[in-house]
Amino acid sequence: MALRNAVLRHLRVPVQNLAVRGSNQSQIGFLGSIRAFSSHDDHLSKQDVVDRVLDVVKSFPKVDPAKVTPDVHFQKDLGLDSLDTVEIVMAIEEEFKLEIPDKEADKIDSCSLAIEYVFNHPMSS
Amino acid sequence: MSGVSTAAYFARRAAQKERVRILYRRALKDTLNWAVHRHIFYRDACDLREKFNANQDVEDVDRIDKLIAHGEAEYDKWRHPDPYIVPWAPGGSKFCRNPTPPAEIEILYNYGHEDNP
Repeated sequence: MALRNAVLRHLRVPVQNLAVRGSNQSQIGFLGSIRAFSSHDDHLSKQDVVDRVLDVVKSFPKVDPAKVTPDVHFQKDLGLDSLDTVEIVMAIEEEFKLEIPDKEADKIDSCSLAIEYVFNHPMSS
Repeated sequence: MSGVSTAAYFARRAAQKERVRILYRRALKDTLNWAVHRHIFYRDACDLREKFNANQDVEDVDRIDKLIAHGEAEYDKWRHPDPYIVPWAPGGSKFCRNPTPPAEIEILYNYGHEDNP
């Protein structure tokens, strides 16, 4: 009995990479360098941020969805007003549950700036 | 006097535009605080936008100043006593609640799945 336990303790069964359930479908490339279910993975990936920001901009009624690219300028390329820019920034705040201070929000003028700000913000989710 | 476009005039106009943008932003957030349900909020947001658009072609700098001051007074009058603030922001419920854990500590939320890596 003790022998069996000792043997079992030293046996290693090869573990297959099962499909990871839960909210983290991160690439388990280098044999789990990014752990699933960890508390250190609460940062969005850049592609996620880009997709969501573009969705927000495309669903704005005054915007033509075909013209929206990740580096489009709200006033020059999309022909929006400065008040429309304010509305888009508010919509991005609501999407990512952020609170952007007034001075910073005033400077966000294009998609690329918005994506950069959201990606670099530690609390975007 | 109204035809002089010096750098000071443009600087003043730019400052006014910034004030208008910030005022619109705060007024919109306030509208969202008061009108929680989205269909009511959209209606009120449209009304607010109409109010701002009605004065957008004014060229006289002093009149613009007066309009902005009037708008800010209205905003002060209508401020919500309990605005929605994102929890981790100053004024929110999670602000300064817990100190951030040191970066070396990692919590694995895999209760029940410890056998699968």
